[in-house]
Amino acid sequence: MTAEKRRWRNSLVWRVTGNSVLLSLGIIWLVGSALLSQISTGIFNEKLNNSISDSETSARSIEVQIAVAQFQNDAAVKKSVDQMISIASLNGATAGREIALLHFPVVKPVTNNLERTSNLLSPASVPDSLRTLVRTKTGSHWERTKIRYLGGKVEDGIAVGSRIEIPRAGTYELYFLYQLNSQANTVNLIRTSLWFTGLALLILIGLVTWLVIRQVVIPIREAAEIAEQLSAGDLGRRMEVHGENEIARLGSSFNEMALSMQQQISRLENLSRLQQRFVSDVSHELRTPLTTIRMASEVINASRGSFNSKVARSAELLIAQIDRFERLLADLLEVSRFDAEAAVMVTEPVDIIQLLKRTVDYLHPSRDKIIHIYSPLEPVIIDADSRRIERIFRNLITNALDHCEGEPIDITIVESEDAVAIGVRDYGVGFQEKDSARLFDRFWRADPARARVRGGTGLGLSIALEDAKLHHGTLEAWGRLRRGAHFVLTIPKSAGVEIVSHPIPVLPPSELSPILFETDDEEL
Amino acid sequence: MTLIMVVDDDQDLAEMLGIVLTGAGFEVDLVNRGDEVMDLFRAQTPDLVLLDVMLPGINGNEVARLIREESMVPIVMLTAKGDTHDVVLGLEAGADDYMVKPFNPSELVARIKTRLRRVISETAGGLKIGDIAIDQLAHSIMREGKVIPLTRLEFDLLVALAKEPGRVFTREALLNEVWGYRHATDTRLVNVHVQRLRSKVETDPENPELIVTVRGVGYKAGVPGSKEQ
Repeated sequence: MTAEKRRWRNSLVWRVTGNSVLLSLGIIWLVGSALLSQISTGIFNEKLNNSISDSETSARSIEVQIAVAQFQNDAAVKKSVDQMISIASLNGATAGREIALLHFPVVKPVTNNLERTSNLLSPASVPDSLRTLVRTKTGSHWERTKIRYLGGKVEDGIAVGSRIEIPRAGTYELYFLYQLNSQANTVNLIRTSLWFTGLALLILIGLVTWLVIRQVVIPIREAAEIAEQLSAGDLGRRMEVHGENEIARLGSSFNEMALSMQQQISRLENLSRLQQRFVSDVSHELRTPLTTIRMASEVINASRGSFNSKVARSAELLIAQIDRFERLLADLLEVSRFDAEAAVMVTEPVDIIQLLKRTVDYLHPSRDKIIHIYSPLEPVIIDADSRRIERIFRNLITNALDHCEGEPIDITIVESEDAVAIGVRDYGVGFQEKDSARLFDRFWRADPARARVRGGTGLGLSIALEDAKLHHGTLEAWGRLRRGAHFVLTIPKSAGVEIVSHPIPVLPPSELSPILFETDDEEL
Repeated sequence: MTLIMVVDDDQDLAEMLGIVLTGAGFEVDLVNRGDEVMDLFRAQTPDLVLLDVMLPGINGNEVARLIREESMVPIVMLTAKGDTHDVVLGLEAGADDYMVKPFNPSELVARIKTRLRRVISETAGGLKIGDIAIDQLAHSIMREGKVIPLTRLEFDLLVALAKEPGRVFTREALLNEVWGYRHATDTRLVNVHVQRLRSKVETDPENPELIVTVRGVGYKAGVPGSKEQ
């Protein structure tokens, strides 16, 4: 159904051509039928008039001959009638005329039957209805009929009849039958030529419509193709404009639109390039003095032992704050890189389990491990940017360590056909349900009054989210106050493919059953 | 005395680098312009070059290329941009290692020491990888009697792989062993240098047989002709 519809929609040319051919067919049919019926009626009427006048003339001449002749006996009557019939028959042979002399049944002569027909004409050729009419009313009458011969031949024709008085023989009915052969042939010829003319007209109309519509549709199709190319990013494409008609106007306004779009986009691109340039320059300009400061502070810190306690503490604070400043700068630059859409992914096959274990060892190398990793035994190798994935891990684990309050942290890796999910669950302070949406906002803090923990930059989670998005993955969070939090990262195994499955649900299994009491719990 | 040439246009940073490096026991030559490097380099023949990327005159990547044309001296780039593109450009120009500003001075000293260290193997005997003979004493490699010139880093990388022929090295293990990184996942460094090394030692760098990629893990020394992937 949709495919059918699409084919129609795809071809305006065929639809319009088809419709116009159908309409033309109807019109040609109507006009042709009317024409044909008028012509055939005309031809028939002319023949009828001719036939009636011919029959009246012939009948009168026969009547005159009979009136003139003085019959001595029945045989003479018979002979004379025979003669007249055959002469009349001969006269009318070229016009396809037949004659039938039939007996008027009221007074039936027993001895001398003068009934005659010409050329083996069957008396049944004269319809009974006409005979009744002739018997009841004087004058000549006509009717259409089938002319039948004794040999079995049947012809279309007109029968014209009248009464005739024959001395010594009584009243007879005289019928002239006219064949309609030539008229039927003419009508047939006209019908055939009408058929052919109609057909030719139809084909021509179809062809002309097709050509005309194509003239209109081709520029439209071209416009559509160019619009597709424009939206695919080829901003330099333009329509060709010929002449000054409506199509040309469509073309030129289309081109104007494309031009202003191109200008707008290149303006935005310029802005974005400026922004990137600015970020890059700031990066260089800030980092070089920071490097000097950092090295100077390390040198100062190295000889801390010779300072008095206040100066020594100041040196420590200096170092710590330079570290923090450095992290903040790095995170800000990363964020602005995302904003400028200048973040580049470098994917390669990477074992996600190895990567996670290394990150955990780095962040939390102590012996009394509170981080537990639950992962498949086999390596899980995916196509990803290892630097970014590691940064997500680092941000999630640092966040968990900051908020776990000494409770253990569970990290789970589950893979599915197309994706791999990493869940980081802690049982610490958690956060309110309503905050889960704002958690990834930049510099967002659950409780503004609460002291900063461990000097995080406030950008970690938002960068992690951007990194996940860059991988076409998701980063979700679940949390409840004092019941901990659960962060789930899901990324596709092949870079850039949309994920279908989520191997780890963000709602932790341990939270499934007491869900009914949750709202009450929150209110307390 | 070990001579380190520091090329940086920021005078304060250059001076600070001088303080830190002399404190670590090195001798330091300071250069402020890219186009002054080559003359001084030829005159002084430093043991290592610390090279900033943004330089007046000629930029750092171009300087690295010029140095590589006539010397295998270790080059460490100092870059303000940690973007993959910038890093790879420097490495491809011939730098052995890079440090993103702002770096930790002790980390810098550790990296410089790694780059300068001579690996003295216990077994002075020749190592082999495929049809290439490695002479660890002379620090050179040969194929069919012909010496293939390698940078010290490329040599170290090849030796690391050749010493344990069956072992698959993760990129992190190589970073640790060859570059002296304690914790890093910067695989770009390894990837670029493996490419450079392949282009020098492989007969067909497109289908490497000596340094084989193990998908998702890292690299290992291959046995030519065995067709293992």
